[in-house]
Parts: sequence; C-alpha cells; structure tokens
Amino acid sequence: MHRDSKHKAKLTLSAEEKARHQRVSTQVKRSESLIIKQIKSTTMEETKNMTAERSLEIITEQIEKSRRAVSKTTGQSLFVSGLCTMGMAVIIAITNFILINHASGGLGHLLWLVLPVIIWLFMRKYNKEREHTPVSLVGSMVAKTWSTFAWFVIGYFIIALIWGFVAMRMLQPEEYVATRIEVTPVIVLLMGMAITITGHILKQRWLIIFGIVAGLGCFVWEHFNMGATTVMLLSGQPHPSLSFAAIASTLPCLTIFIFAFVGLMLPGWMLKKQK
Amino acid sequence: MFQPLDPLLHSELRLAVMSLLISAEEAEFPYIKEQTGATAGNLSVQLDKLSTAGYIEVEKTFKGKKPCTICRITPAGQKAFEDYIQVLKTYLNV
Repeated sequence: MHRDSKHKAKLTLSAEEKARHQRVSTQVKRSESLIIKQIKSTTMEETKNMTAERSLEIITEQIEKSRRAVSKTTGQSLFVSGLCTMGMAVIIAITNFILINHASGGLGHLLWLVLPVIIWLFMRKYNKEREHTPVSLVGSMVAKTWSTFAWFVIGYFIIALIWGFVAMRMLQPEEYVATRIEVTPVIVLLMGMAITITGHILKQRWLIIFGIVAGLGCFVWEHFNMGATTVMLLSGQPHPSLSFAAIASTLPCLTIFIFAFVGLMLPGWMLKKQK
Repeated sequence: MFQPLDPLLHSELRLAVMSLLISAEEAEFPYIKEQTGATAGNLSVQLDKLSTAGYIEVEKTFKGKKPCTICRITPAGQKAFEDYIQVLKTYLNV
C-alpha cells in the first residue's frame, strides 16, 4: 500500500514537471520568435509589418549618416585650410621681417592673395583621391557659407589694399593712420562667424564654441593692438624703433597663425577623427 | 481612421534610399550601398522598383572607363516622400 502511494506521488510529480517543462518550452519558443522578429526588423529587408517608429528611425538614421559624411569632408577642408593658413602666416612673417630693412615691411601681406589658390589646389587633389560623397543639402549649405566668406574677405582685402595705396599718397600720415582700413581684425571676425555657422549647420557644439572664442578673441587681440602693446611693454620703448616695427609688421601673422590653429586646424582634425 | 502608408516607401531599404536621396542632389550606387548596408543585388531590385514608380531617376554613365550608376530623386519622389512623412506624423501623433 505504502509503495503504491509513493509511486502515485512520483507520477503526479512527473506530471507537474511535464507541465512545467511545457510552460518553459513555450516561453523559450516565444522569446525565440521575438528575437527573430527583432533581428528581421534590424536588417534592411522588405517587411510589410514595419512600424511607424521604425520608419522614423530609418529616416533619422540616413539623414544622420549623410550629415556625418559631410562633417568628415568639412573636417578635411578645415584641416587643410588651417595648415595652409598657418604655413602662409609663417612665410609672410618671415618675408615682412626681411623686407622691413628695405622699408617695405607690409609688402609680404600681398601673399595672402595666393592662399585661396593653394587651398583650392590641395582640396582638388584630395577630392580626386577620396570616394564620391554626394552633394547634400547640408554640404551645399556649408560650401555656400565658406564661399560667401571667401568673397567678402577677398573683396575686403582688395578694397583695403587699394585704399591704403591711395590714402598713403593723398593724405597726411596722421590722416592716413586715422582712415586706414584694418584688415586682420575684420578677417578673423568674419572667419569666426563662418566657423560658428558651420558648427550650427553640422550641429557640432564645440565647433560653434571654437568659432566664437577664436573669432572674438583674435578680433579683440588685433583691434586693440594688444600684440603691439605687449611688444612695446616688453621692449620698454615708448616709440617704435626699427626692430619694433619689424616685430609689429609680423604680429598680424601671429594672430592669423593662432586663429588658424584654434579655429581651423584643431576643429578640422576633431571632425576628421569623429566616428 | 489612419491613412494608409505608401506601400512602395514602406519598406526598410526603399525608405532608406529615399531618405538618403532626399537630402542629396544625387548619389552614386556604391555610396548608397555603403550607407544602407544592402547587397548589390537587393539594392538594384529596390532601385528598379523606385525608378519604375517614377520616384527616382537612374542614370547609367561612365566614370573614366568604369561604369557608374547615379541616382537622383524626382519631383514625384519628393512629393511621395513628403506625403509619407505627413501620414507617418498622424501615426506617431506628432
């Protein structure tokens, strides 16, 4: 009798176990089918049961990918422009320093006109090498921002040169100094604005910050002649001597060099390295 | 009552292609393939479907000696995409 009851208990236990097994197996099957569904939804296959959320996700993802591709190209352009500008600043500074002894210290600044050509040549070489990135709305907005900047800067530079040439011959030295068009502060300000706008288009907050800091910082530094004042304070001379004039003629190059590093090369490198 | 979503656009790959082309003036086949992660065969089929519907135009040309397929969205495609977004908004209560 006792044996029979034990056997019955065993049988009922095994029935319970069977039910539990069944429950577990159905749960496993359910989770498996869920996982398969999830995998299917993540692959680019034709699905009729695609949810509205997934549709939105795909659209956002593709637009973001396009933005990233443009960011990388823009990064390369900024990097190359920064390097070329820094190199040119050094060359012009040396040229001015040498030419100051021949009483034509500012003549080296004419070399700035060659800079857009050099940048264009480098970018042309790079564009030939890299794979074709389509012209997107974001890309064309960035390109238009920089082409606007280039037209304004080249125009402003030429106007300043012509006015400087005319005013030097027509006006008294005091009048000339008072009416002289300052080039460097305005150019760094415009460049800072172009970098900030690019940052807004590409949604890169640090690019916006770099543009504002570099543009305004270098504008203040250059407009208030802080470089010249520093040199004057360090040399201890109330009036500029020849050596001071030589240093002063190279100071805008130093400003441009710092700006090109902070506002162009560094953000360009960061954009390039972005995953 | 929800409006039905355009069945031609309501496919992952076709929607991805349209989303890519909507923000680009034109795009080459390898670029679309890379961005969508699709196979060349599957992508060709889907591009054909979009092209037949008049949503995109496919130009087969040469880049040097290599064949090059360029895709661009048509005004009809832009309209269809805009309508799709409008309907999608109603689904998402945006």
